[in-house]
Amino acid sequence: MNSTSATGIAYQEAIEQYRPQPERPLPEPQLENRKLLKKFHPDHIDSSRTRLNIGINRGDNCHKQLAQLLQSDSRISEADLAGAATINTDVLVIGGGGAGCAAALIAEQQGANVLLATKLRLGDSNTVMAEGGIQASINKEDSPQNHFDDTIRAGHHHGDPDLVSQLALDGPDVIRWLIQQGMQFDLDEFGDLLTRRAGGTSSDRICFYRDYTGLEMMRVLREAVHNSNIEVWDYCPTVELLGDDMKGCSGAVISSLKERKYIQINAKAVILATGGIGRMHLNHFPTSNHFGATGDGLVLAYRMGAALRDLDSFQYHPTGLAHPFHLAGMLITEGVRSCGTYLLNGQGERFIDELSARDIVAAAVIRECQEGRGILTEDNQNGVWLDTPGIELRQPGILNQRFPKLMHLGRKAEIDLTQKPLLIYPTLHYQNGGVVINENGETSVPGLFCIGEVSGGIHGKNRLMGNALLEIISFGRRAGLMAAQRRKNKRSSQLSIEHLNQLRRELTTAEIPLDCQGPLLFPEYAKFDLDSDYEGLRRNRSSKP
Amino acid sequence: MSDHKTKIQVTINGKQIRVPSTLSVIQALWHAGYPRVQGVGCLEGVCGSCRVLVRRAEGNEVSMEMGCQTLVEEGMEVMFLIFPSPSQHTYNLEQIPNSWEVQTEFQKIFPEAQQCRSCHGCTTACPKDIEVEKGVELAVKGRFKEAGELFIECIMCDLCMTGCPEQIAPNRVGLFARRVTAYFHTRPSNLINRLEKIRSGEIHINKESLS
Repeated sequence: MNSTSATGIAYQEAIEQYRPQPERPLPEPQLENRKLLKKFHPDHIDSSRTRLNIGINRGDNCHKQLAQLLQSDSRISEADLAGAATINTDVLVIGGGGAGCAAALIAEQQGANVLLATKLRLGDSNTVMAEGGIQASINKEDSPQNHFDDTIRAGHHHGDPDLVSQLALDGPDVIRWLIQQGMQFDLDEFGDLLTRRAGGTSSDRICFYRDYTGLEMMRVLREAVHNSNIEVWDYCPTVELLGDDMKGCSGAVISSLKERKYIQINAKAVILATGGIGRMHLNHFPTSNHFGATGDGLVLAYRMGAALRDLDSFQYHPTGLAHPFHLAGMLITEGVRSCGTYLLNGQGERFIDELSARDIVAAAVIRECQEGRGILTEDNQNGVWLDTPGIELRQPGILNQRFPKLMHLGRKAEIDLTQKPLLIYPTLHYQNGGVVINENGETSVPGLFCIGEVSGGIHGKNRLMGNALLEIISFGRRAGLMAAQRRKNKRSSQLSIEHLNQLRRELTTAEIPLDCQGPLLFPEYAKFDLDSDYEGLRRNRSSKP
Repeated sequence: MSDHKTKIQVTINGKQIRVPSTLSVIQALWHAGYPRVQGVGCLEGVCGSCRVLVRRAEGNEVSMEMGCQTLVEEGMEVMFLIFPSPSQHTYNLEQIPNSWEVQTEFQKIFPEAQQCRSCHGCTTACPKDIEVEKGVELAVKGRFKEAGELFIECIMCDLCMTGCPEQIAPNRVGLFARRVTAYFHTRPSNLINRLEKIRSGEIHINKESLS
């Protein structure tokens, strides 16, 4: 998918020439890290950066593809609402990942009527794919202060200290709550929680369940939601939020893919938990994200007037699978590098200290490929080797013992990882920024909450492993509680999509054409907007020029 | 996508398409220009959304697989299974008064689990090769921890449920077994100590520590 740099050594030739070797020297770096990032990290590609021309963040830096959606026209008009059924609820949760489930469960426990609308099915999310684990400072030699310091430092001092402090203090209670929902963690022989260390942290702080922490978390939360009074609407992507007479948010318009019609949901509080942007394939990158990660929440919130932050900062995980094509983009856990596995270019040479931070390693892989030392597949996919046979020679048996999931992936790809290396290339993994929130997940728009990856401020410009799973539960619970409380004295009326008129005026003034419509909802290749099944949802759309 | 690559013929949802041989079933549909939105999820084989029935060219056997993880083959026939996940079982962990009562409550919540005919329908249907039937058997005997261990890789795709003539929901039995194990028996002292210190106000964070 990285189409611009289609030079390199052909895959077949490279794999035939490859010979396992236990030791390979690391050459002296030719470029200091700061310059490496500036020259090769995708965040710094000048041609993909722009400034926003409309809205509260006007003038801020933003990725071009994201800017196009933030400055897009709505998918609906007043005519779509005229015929739409109207439903009332106390708390509307949008998104069915870990954050949405946690918020919904707490709000319901507080006695609120809760409706959870999700684009795909409950649990179809990035949460379910998280392998590494969840951070919580529970060891004697560790402290919430260390957790705070590590998180602020990793985010290059761009994180919001109030949010990060809340996150670190919540950690242990989040683990307790998850256990009470029936989630298992790996324990030692005495029943204490096992912990391991994440890159860039000062202490062992990751709690985990095998390589399946996210899967275990998601199936437990999904079951808890299914066994509650929360009403779940699946296959119901949200296309717009509803404004009210108090300059707040009081509901949403969803499109039911099953009934092929719009439904208006009036709510006293709205919690956006829509996740990230991987499936926008920024800079044509493959992604480790699930099918629905198309940045919808950012677009919806921005139109309502919510402030955003760090819109030019994304995490590219260095080791996404690049071959075979049908599995491309899948993530290979950082653990493989942290135990000492090398990365090799097409000439069989190392080119970066493999234990550097994620952004540095990703930039180095991209450099090798751009300068013609990568390996090129039939599908035009560039990459470098993850030298699994090398680590197996240095530590015989390690692959089978420690990385069963990786070995399983090798079998699916029909590659014996003890003999042959895997082709990897950075994969778009996480949106570091998002909607500005406070400690309860409240945005600058009254009645609108944002939690999880759609929100910004916790991770600054770079996220630590294990802080995403913690964030979704920590802030999910807080937002659920606050939304349930706030509902009691909400007195707004005149629900409407009036804010879209403001949007269209601004777009016209800024001379931005109205031919792009957002939110994206689905990646382009799924051809949702051409699907004749869903024509009913497009009947009032202005025809494209 | 270049043209020099091997193309093969497959049939997906009754549509015959010619696609490069390196694609997954879902990629093949997209490649051929057919929209597909429902029944697509994580695209990593862990969400259980893209359930497909697959018949390969040689042989009449039909298998159940995940579409995102299935590589197309010449002559392959594929049918997507889109059905809502039925959840006829409702329970709350809080309704179980204590760990002595788990087995009694289990029989009330999953009465049909005892009707298992040992037909292997569930085990055969599982795309993750879990010993599903054995798990149900262990849960019925009250051996919940052991039963739950078998379901570590369960992605809740519900295919085992479709394979069961007694309408047991084996994956939900497995998840129940896992949940009661954590709910009643996970009491880590390192976590409890830390919670106590936070509750007593002994622990603070200095937000200016790095400035």
